[in-house]
Amino acid sequence: MYKYDHIDQTLVDQRVTQFKDQVERRLNGTLPEEEFRPLRLQNGLYHQRHAYMLRVAIPYGLFSAKQLRTLAMIADRYDRGYGHFTTRQNIQFNWIDLEDAPAILADLAKVEMHAIQTSGNCIRNITSDAFAGVAGDEYIDPRPICELLRQWSTLHPEFAHLPRKFKFAINGAQEDRTVLLCHDVGIELKKDAAGNLLADLYAGGGMGRTPILGSLIKQDLPWQYLPSYLTALLRVYNRFGRRDNLYKARIKILVKALGPAEFARQVEGEWAHIADGDDNFTQAEWDRVAQHFTKPAYQALTALTHDELLAHCAPQLNAQEQLAFSRWLERNVRKHQVPGYASVILSLKPHGTAAPGDATSAQMLAIADLADQYSFGELRVTHEQNLVLADVEQTQLLALWRAAKAQNLVLPNIGLLTDIIACPGGDFCSLANAKSLPIAKAIQERFDDLDYLNDLGEITLNISGCINSCGHHHVGNIGVLGVDKDGEEWYQITLGGEQGNDAAIGKVIGPSFYADEIPEVMTGIINTYVSQRHEDESFIATYRRLGVAPFKEAAYANAKKKTSLEKATIEGRAS
Amino acid sequence: MSHTEPTSAIPHSQVLHFPKGGKPTLAPNEWQVFHWDQDEGGIPDLEHGAHKVLAPFHWWVKHHQERDVMSLAHAGKIGVWFATDDDILKHADIIQAGKALWPVVAAHFPIFRDGRSFSTAALLRDRFAWDGEIRAIGDVLIDQLLQGARVGFDSFHLRSDQNLEIALTQFDVITVTTQNSWRGKRTLLKA
Repeated sequence: MYKYDHIDQTLVDQRVTQFKDQVERRLNGTLPEEEFRPLRLQNGLYHQRHAYMLRVAIPYGLFSAKQLRTLAMIADRYDRGYGHFTTRQNIQFNWIDLEDAPAILADLAKVEMHAIQTSGNCIRNITSDAFAGVAGDEYIDPRPICELLRQWSTLHPEFAHLPRKFKFAINGAQEDRTVLLCHDVGIELKKDAAGNLLADLYAGGGMGRTPILGSLIKQDLPWQYLPSYLTALLRVYNRFGRRDNLYKARIKILVKALGPAEFARQVEGEWAHIADGDDNFTQAEWDRVAQHFTKPAYQALTALTHDELLAHCAPQLNAQEQLAFSRWLERNVRKHQVPGYASVILSLKPHGTAAPGDATSAQMLAIADLADQYSFGELRVTHEQNLVLADVEQTQLLALWRAAKAQNLVLPNIGLLTDIIACPGGDFCSLANAKSLPIAKAIQERFDDLDYLNDLGEITLNISGCINSCGHHHVGNIGVLGVDKDGEEWYQITLGGEQGNDAAIGKVIGPSFYADEIPEVMTGIINTYVSQRHEDESFIATYRRLGVAPFKEAAYANAKKKTSLEKATIEGRAS
Repeated sequence: MSHTEPTSAIPHSQVLHFPKGGKPTLAPNEWQVFHWDQDEGGIPDLEHGAHKVLAPFHWWVKHHQERDVMSLAHAGKIGVWFATDDDILKHADIIQAGKALWPVVAAHFPIFRDGRSFSTAALLRDRFAWDGEIRAIGDVLIDQLLQGARVGFDSFHLRSDQNLEIALTQFDVITVTTQNSWRGKRTLLKA
């Protein structure tokens, strides 16, 4: 992975000193909160319900065992012994004191990490495929471009106060694992027949109040031109994006208002003036960065099929273990580019015992050891808030499974209904209208049977505590959105969302539900799928074939059933 | 809530100058910012005032052909300031002509977190090749100086409550850069 040079290190070190001074001015009263706010946000510091939350960047999802140990130390020393991995490849600490923030940032800088631009109206942490460099379906390793753009966007002066936040995602694989079309700018990398690296750019995607999928505005841009083209694009947005209304300030609103063709034309007009300037990346810059993303020292191994691997491990497993291990191989282990290797997803989605994406400091330390022992000391964080050991020898999978099992990280639910994406919600976040975590817990407890979950197959269920959509509910096959009605917490259900190559925004099925109706509502929706599906038909395919009607009917019938049952119970008690 | 032109405080009499390639210094302010609205009429009486005037660009667009305005401009007494909603690219011809007349131009910050004037300054430097002074006016705070200096500003009339001594120390807080700007190429390309 990328290693800082003296420029990167100087930048993060000086940034810590700068923020330390800003915090001191805040604490001595010379810098008012209103004016400190954007400064702390651009250093990852939110003020939440109970305390400050610090969001630390894990650029394009890649980090090291050493860095994870520092994160564990921060969790223990400055927080309450855990951290929360987010959908945008960051980690959040929820119980931070402002006075400690500069010291934490200094600790992060020592291991080449930072919280720069993880919040605020600027270019945010750049996200990418968690399986970059190892995925079987990859045609371009996106990491050099990710790192080049991380550097280009870091402390970019012209775009330090954009109308609103600005998110990049970058993909180089056949299957999109980045939710590319839900980003302000999505960059799809490809190669032409001559082997030149090109980018297609999609602009104006986003979730939030007005979910929109991005539009293709530029095709076949040679990679060297990304800085000048993106400068032109961001300049048009910075000058003409709305600033009168917070909810209409994202680039998606500008692209929609102008139309993608006109927006592209304006960007092109601006770009014409700067395209050939020295903003563009040089081959030397590529070489400098790309040397860090070479392949690790893989052994020459023979690839094993699932059955061969099971047969190989069988003598060491009892019958019950064989079933569990086999399931884990199916659900939590992914194909690798290199024969004899596999990528392992550690599930941070235990059923009901921890919030989705949470890891304790003890787990972090154990995972760091696993990374060192089994995967060249490197880790990735996924959009679904799980962790990945990307380069594991197949013959080591059993040993890894046993070690990870001891840390409660091997639940074979990746891609299944209980692999829930959820924001921290109203338990922590002051923006939230409703809690997310108890809903996730209730659903995980209701659907706790692994046989049943496996039978249901792949279903994505995403929960956001408010319309800011940090839980990406719009692109869940089933989405749950917390809403506030007269001071009470209600939940709106959407169906039909999807991420990936067939990205789609889910549709609201109707009036919202009470929190305690949600498990019954889910049961109604899932039962409808089970009873109506054709053989091997996925949930989303069944939904697309049938439309919303039968699911909606079952959801409301079940919610009603629950309400009348309760009524009867209460009346029964009263009599 | 607006921080623009607080009425209770006296504006700084000094302006922070940070020329490209130079050092940050303080100097007395010679330019009075003229906020024009429709019923206000002409520019202030320059004959009896101590200051030269920074006029709103949209006022200049309307009045620059008037004889008395031209004669003051030729005497070096009028500069213009750009509001955040001035589309400077639409008035390229007027700006090109103005380059020969204005001793200084400015870009306004209605609130510190409105970054439009960063792009205005960048365009003035890149597109219009303006090599004279660009001044930041309005809600100009200590913690924007570094960004402003990089996009093209070389003078700053800070908000009245901002500590100028602290302001002077801001420009070498971060000494490396990872993208080009008006002040110079990214550090990597300088090596």
